[in-house]
Amino acid sequence: MNDLAIHTEGLAKFFGKTRAVDGLDLKVPRGSVYGFLGRNGAGKTTTVKTLLGLLRPNAGSAQVLGYDIRQDLVAILERTGFVPENKTLFGSLTPTQLVHFNQGYFPKWSGELVARYAELFEIPMRVPFSKLSLGNKTKVCHLLALCQGADLLILDEPSIGLDPVITDLLLRVLVEDHVSEGKTVFLSSHQLTEVERIADWVGIIEKGKILLETRLEDIRQNYRLIRAAADTAPVISSPHLVSVQSSENFRSYLVAREAEDFAAMLRAKGMTILEILPVSLEEVFLGLTRKEVPCISGKLGTIPVPV
Amino acid sequence: MYLWKAWHDSRSRVMLYILAALSVGVLFGLNVMTWANWHAYWETFYPARRLPPVFNYDFYMVITFWMLDWVVLHYGQIVALLTGLSLGASSVGREYGAGTMNFVLTRPGPRRNFVLTDWTVGLTGMVIILSGLAFPLLPFLRAVHAKGPGNILAGLPALWVLGAAVYGLSHFTTLVAGSAPKGLTLSAATILTYGFLPTALHEWWHTDALLRAVEWTLRGVMYDAWPLSPFDWGATVFWLAVAVGFLGASLAWIRFREV
Repeated sequence: MNDLAIHTEGLAKFFGKTRAVDGLDLKVPRGSVYGFLGRNGAGKTTTVKTLLGLLRPNAGSAQVLGYDIRQDLVAILERTGFVPENKTLFGSLTPTQLVHFNQGYFPKWSGELVARYAELFEIPMRVPFSKLSLGNKTKVCHLLALCQGADLLILDEPSIGLDPVITDLLLRVLVEDHVSEGKTVFLSSHQLTEVERIADWVGIIEKGKILLETRLEDIRQNYRLIRAAADTAPVISSPHLVSVQSSENFRSYLVAREAEDFAAMLRAKGMTILEILPVSLEEVFLGLTRKEVPCISGKLGTIPVPV
Repeated sequence: MYLWKAWHDSRSRVMLYILAALSVGVLFGLNVMTWANWHAYWETFYPARRLPPVFNYDFYMVITFWMLDWVVLHYGQIVALLTGLSLGASSVGREYGAGTMNFVLTRPGPRRNFVLTDWTVGLTGMVIILSGLAFPLLPFLRAVHAKGPGNILAGLPALWVLGAAVYGLSHFTTLVAGSAPKGLTLSAATILTYGFLPTALHEWWHTDALLRAVEWTLRGVMYDAWPLSPFDWGATVFWLAVAVGFLGASLAWIRFREV
């Protein structure tokens, strides 16, 4: 059995001249929680839709749970729980009726989990879906995805409308009930704190391309932010340099590994090292994707340098 | 499972259409019966005298004849057109409009099941509605001494396949356009073109081949034929082929449809 839950190579999806997904290479290990991060319009939802057959790729290949998305779509859908970005289900049906509708498609459907999650998430099961609040609609979408006995959960913006208590519950349920059973969670989100809390792996996408794919533990252990000062900015080149942020005479270097060696190189070029700090996922994300914004003085605020 | 959901969503609409079809038919039937009885009443008491012209040509009579000509004799075709357009666009259009198409298409199963289920539910509703409209016409036919109920029943299959063809057109255009209003507009434009283009060509360029062809396809379902003429196999098979063609087009399209 393939040890990757999702594997794409050169996956591309174009809408006219817009290259929504442009040669995407993803490797999502089985049994992991994978945070798929990106700015608005980066290509996250297009990627998810392509993996689930809602969009047809223009190029490249993709396997989900070892099945080819072009050949074995039904097998993929039988094993994949999906929470869409728009959280829209049949408005005329109540959650109870939606459960009735959905369970017929999935042989591994669990009625016990329905009862458990309906109570845990406090879902009003007899109110038509169209009359539910956004938070309750999101809960129902999760209920349907979590109870179908899926090997892979693809959750697009999973916490939209959820209060902090339910968000906390959901994250715990994902890890304790599903990942612990060897299932894979693919989390496409803007909520970096949620991803940082449960993810093992992160992939950061920008303009349809993957900028970074690594273990979260790798970021915690090896990624460092080096703050340095100098009258002039020396030209720095290193395979470990992720991004540089400039402000007056100060520079902030985000490096992927060997921070001490990089700091020594800066010192050799006449810079003064102020501090070397561990970084959060948010700092890595911003370092990779931050837009160049001219300051009031006209100078550029940041200079993203992808690895 | 989608069959259950599709019927759950369609049942109120189908019931409403049945009620509407029955109501219009009953209203017309009563109207014509009143007119027929009026003559019977006059002939009972004044057998030697003709109905005064004022009663033959007054506003009431004009309206009645207008209804005879345009409403009742068109009744079946109007109901077939309207229900075909409405049911065809509403089934798939409802999923597009509500944004639930991605949910529907991520349920495991061949996509063709979605189209086939839509057709099953839509055509069942159509057959029920079009059959229902026959009953209020029975008293009308009796009143005007037309051919009997057997003639009505013989005319129904032609209406069913016409309705199925319109349903297929509406379903396919909605599937392609991605919304019910756009699908309905495309369908209406297609029907109007089908109806008027041959006439226009005939008027402008005196080419009547297309006109004759269209008239042939409408035998058995046009107002001067149904329900007073015998069943027409040729036209019925033609519309059945059109319906099957649109079903095939929808099945092919849904395979590659992106959401």
